[in-house]
Amino acid sequence: MADPVPIRTDAVVVENRSEGGANRRLRLQVDGWRGFGPGQFVMLSPGSRADVVRSDPLLPRPMAVYRAAPAGAGAVVEILFKVSGRGTGLLADVLPGQRVALVGPLGRSFDLPESGERAILVAGGTGIASVYELAARARANTEVSVLLGARTRDDLMGVEDFESLGVALRLATEDGSAGEQGLVTALLEAELAVDGTARVYVCGPTPMMRRCAEISAARGRPCVVSLENTMACGFGVCLGCAAPLATGGYALVCRDGPMFDAEQVAWEGLP
Amino acid sequence: MSASQAPDTRVDLAGIPLRNPVLTASGTFGYGSEFAPFLDLRRIGGFVAKSLTLKPRFGNPPPRISEAPSGMLNAISLENVGVDAFIDEKLPVIPDGVTVIASLFETEIAGYAAVAERLSEEPRIAGLEVNASCPHVKSGGIEFGQNPKVLAELVRSVRRATSRPLLVKLSPNVTDIGEMARVCEAEGADGISLINAVQGLEVDPETRRPVLSNVLGGLSGPAIRPIALRMVWQASRAVTLPICGIGGIATAADAIKFLLCGATAVQVGTANYLDPAVAGEIVDGIEDYLKRHGIERVSDLVGALEIPPDRRS
Ligand SMILES: Cc1cc2nc3c(=O)[nH]c(=O)nc-3n(C[C@H](O)[C@H](O)[C@H](O)COP(=O)(O)OP(=O)(O)OC[C@H]3O[C@@H](n4cnc5c(N)ncnc54)[C@H](O)[C@@H]3O)c2cc1C
Ligand SMILES: Cc1cc2nc3c(=O)[nH]c(=O)nc-3n(C[C@H](O)[C@H](O)[C@H](O)COP(=O)(O)O)c2cc1C
Ligand code: FES
Repeated sequence: MADPVPIRTDAVVVENRSEGGANRRLRLQVDGWRGFGPGQFVMLSPGSRADVVRSDPLLPRPMAVYRAAPAGAGAVVEILFKVSGRGTGLLADVLPGQRVALVGPLGRSFDLPESGERAILVAGGTGIASVYELAARARANTEVSVLLGARTRDDLMGVEDFESLGVALRLATEDGSAGEQGLVTALLEAELAVDGTARVYVCGPTPMMRRCAEISAARGRPCVVSLENTMACGFGVCLGCAAPLATGGYALVCRDGPMFDAEQVAWEGLP
Repeated sequence: MSASQAPDTRVDLAGIPLRNPVLTASGTFGYGSEFAPFLDLRRIGGFVAKSLTLKPRFGNPPPRISEAPSGMLNAISLENVGVDAFIDEKLPVIPDGVTVIASLFETEIAGYAAVAERLSEEPRIAGLEVNASCPHVKSGGIEFGQNPKVLAELVRSVRRATSRPLLVKLSPNVTDIGEMARVCEAEGADGISLINAVQGLEVDPETRRPVLSNVLGGLSGPAIRPIALRMVWQASRAVTLPICGIGGIATAADAIKFLLCGATAVQVGTANYLDPAVAGEIVDGIEDYLKRHGIERVSDLVGALEIPPDRRS
């Protein structure tokens, strides 16, 4: 199914609450929303289009569509985000009833695993937000394992939501405050030691994705990674989000991705 | 003018008739069709497509962009689909009635002329814009637009290669913009566009490295607007050529400032990234302004800046 045509609108904040640590959950009423595919994202700017033009920070921020549910003349779109700088700091301050300029959904969506093919979803830090919808949709026709990693318990997002999906869920934290102590890549190694087909989906920090790609390749399992390059536009016109390809040249993360087959990516050229 | 009568927003830019003075800037509007979900392209005066070279080119390695106070730095470099793919694949999907200006650049003068010739064969293109902010290989990488002799040679050569409306887009990285404008006038350009991005540098103190892979980048966005306005005003006093004003335009008020300072039309750049429909809103805002002030023709605003007599230099 083709991905829905993106819209550009002012979304209304329904809820903006702390999820522990620096993580927040933002729920937006988006009128005219036409649906989205797993792994797609939106560009968000705190403040309405009609406001006096905010110019610092200037650029909108890419955020994965965590999930969405039909509501009113559109949908309530949920975003999980981590306050990590000026833009996300401003997003943390928007209050219910206020407006947030939104463009999306953008990018391609994940291809769902084939029926019967086991799906292993590996996500770290803010990358967790990019795989929830994939887990939710894939579990309908296949076995889904979700491996989530973060530095510490507080950095993990959405754990209860994954639990209520009923997928096999394993956690890893570097300090051992939740799940196993260590890196989520170790969990992937253990999962892939089991025989059988599996497709690996990864979103997280670049070193983690690269390691997952190596582990999957060593086991001969297909691996899809969702990249998080810096973006200015999100819809393929600034050419700012280029990711180097193993075959030479560049792909645009916002238009050709954000997901790529891991072997397409020239990892050494990623910032 | 009666309240019900719509003001006349048409302008003629260097021989290109525009339904209104709001264009979008090269490199910020892709090849046009990317904006179709957000904006009726017929609502704006037209768009300037991403700068084209003879052959398709890859750009710089990442990171290519970085944020700056009220702006952004970019070092995309020459990335584009090439002039043939533009004509064969990109132009045909642009709806009728949309004014398309093609931008071109190369690293040598002969290359510019060749691209200009190829584009001139294409009736769907309303005019050409020469991007003179590209580093010139033969003069050690300085921008074509930074040296009046090199600029003169460039404009002369492209002028010979095309009889279509010809705009020259000037670099702001010069001491005397008036001199560069006069060079364009003397060599037969039909108009000038200014400004391109302002050269800048951003550094990460933790790693002690430049943020962009290319080290230097071009600053764009609201941060450069006062510089752009100043340069448009200076250029408008130096030449009679029509001017297309560019730099940090995000609202109708911004656009009107450029008209007042002598621009016949404007281009919206970085603001398209924040709001892909902004150019249409600027058109609406200009119409509102004209109605509010009882101005019949938008062209009446061009150069209408009023400087109190005791402030004139
Ligand atoms: C397709 C895509 C989907 C994303 N989805 C989510 C999401 O669902 N939830 C979420 O919390 N974040 C997500 N991100 C990352 C998010 O966009 C950045 O964290 C955000 O732009 C940082 O903005 P800032 O102004 O707060 O930080 P800045 O002040 O710009 O920078 C602060 C820190 O954040 C880092 N940073 C900046 N931009 C990015 C980026 N694009 N990716 C990773 N780190 C960055 C910087 O290196 C710096 O260390 C996504 C990014 C992409 C490209
Ligand atoms: C990412 C990016 C790419 C650009 N690419 C081009 C280009 O290919 N050709 C060109 O003439 N100008 C290019 N420009 C410059 C813009 O057209 C414009 O002159 C400049 O950004 C100033 O306007 P603004 O402040 O409204 O963006 C580019 C600007 C940006 C931000
Ligand atoms: S973010 Fe602008 S092209 Fe990808």
